[in-house]
Amino acid sequence: MNRLQANICLICVTLCWSTEVIIFSCIPGDVLPFTTNFICNGIAAILLGICFFRRIKNELSRSGKKLILRCLLLGVLNCGYNSLYMYGIKYFDVSTGAFTFSMTVVVLPVVLITMKKSVGAKTWLSVGLVLAGIVIALGGKMAQIQPLGLLLMLLGCVIRAVFIVKLNDFAKEHDAITLSTFVSVFVSVISFVLWFIFQPETFAAIPWTGTIIASLFIYAYFIVAFAQTLNIFAQKRATATESTIIYSLEIVFSLIWGMILPENLVERAIPTPFHIIGAVLIVAGSIVEIIEFKGKRRLKNVSEKQ
Amino acid sequence: MFLKNSNLPKPVKFILLTVILTAVYLIIAVPFKVMSVIPGFTDIRPVMLLKPVFGIFFGIPGCIAFAIGNLIGDIISDSVRWTSIAGFAANFLGPFIFYLFFAKIAGKDFSLRNAKDLLKHFAVTVISSVIEALLIAPAVKLLYPEVDFMLLSLTIFLNGTAFPLLLGVPLMILMQEELGFKPLKSEKSA
Repeated sequence: MNRLQANICLICVTLCWSTEVIIFSCIPGDVLPFTTNFICNGIAAILLGICFFRRIKNELSRSGKKLILRCLLLGVLNCGYNSLYMYGIKYFDVSTGAFTFSMTVVVLPVVLITMKKSVGAKTWLSVGLVLAGIVIALGGKMAQIQPLGLLLMLLGCVIRAVFIVKLNDFAKEHDAITLSTFVSVFVSVISFVLWFIFQPETFAAIPWTGTIIASLFIYAYFIVAFAQTLNIFAQKRATATESTIIYSLEIVFSLIWGMILPENLVERAIPTPFHIIGAVLIVAGSIVEIIEFKGKRRLKNVSEKQ
Repeated sequence: MFLKNSNLPKPVKFILLTVILTAVYLIIAVPFKVMSVIPGFTDIRPVMLLKPVFGIFFGIPGCIAFAIGNLIGDIISDSVRWTSIAGFAANFLGPFIFYLFFAKIAGKDFSLRNAKDLLKHFAVTVISSVIEALLIAPAVKLLYPEVDFMLLSLTIFLNGTAFPLLLGVPLMILMQEELGFKPLKSEKSA
């Protein structure tokens, strides 16, 4: 996979993640997010395990305990930021919450510097554009934001940034399929524990219908098994910053879904001029990060290294 | 890959591959039957991402599996009509266009490593979707005049173009570059 292909894959991953709202609209609100995480990650882990059994076995015998511990860390981080987002989002309306979610891109360079990793001028420019996009999109709503909600979202973004940096490091060292499978296993186990704490009746509490089962399977195939694995493969070639900036496109896709999809699938939302300007700036920030200003010379070097 | 390395006779391999690919199609397609835009006729179909994959990586068995999978999907969702004949033909032709172009016509083997390759793939995707829409939409309109022809054509075209490009391209990159799947070789390049 070359750099162009890695960026295409990251855009696809972001696109898949942006469809979460569409899939969730088919699941009743009383089904807890921990339930969805447990079932979907469980299905994805089983699917990947069946399809790539030999590959996973080989990687396990090569990396062993180190790999498992790293996947456990990723699983904990994943559950951590998802839970914070889940509680933080309650303090926002849909569009404001979604733009706040994109703050990871602003937090990431700070996390990178804390971890003694360098951040280039181009990245700062991208981050500046994305941040401007978020601020403009939030517009007058900035004043109405509740500090506790913002704190939870910000903490979620910090944990997510650490998750992305660590995933990026581990992806370069381990087999992506094995990494994806075990992250899913740990997310599933942790989610089940949380589910049991908040809803001891677990499976008996779900109003099982064909729609719910279908939605859970769709989520498991596309968001977990496919997007997560594709993301880890792409992270082998892309940097953590590149990935995060491309992830910020999620809000742009969400705006598009709100405009074009029928109301029975997703809540219809007409974007304001502020939303559009914000989205354009986020796209511009992503383009600045993706485009190689030094031209073909460096691209050639990258492909030669591969 | 298991089938490729096995000593089974060619026709058995062909049938087994078709059955496996049909099963893959159905595993992805069936859950999406819950999302219906025009009930009974067409829906949001991410399974279309498999159209280029089946044609480019598996050839004729892939094309047959794609058509059979679609037909079984119609049966499962209780939407088999006379127009399913046109649907069967269109769903065979969709991946077949990819097979025809990349295995028979193109001067070099399939790859998605640069912008030119991607553009070529985009063009083939659009052509195959137009052919599918031209086969299905008039047939439906003929038998069910109350159906909005333009909306149906557009839905078929968008399903056949958007999913193969947005999801199919990354899947094929993953299969070819990282998972060791080999696309069918171009006869002209050999």
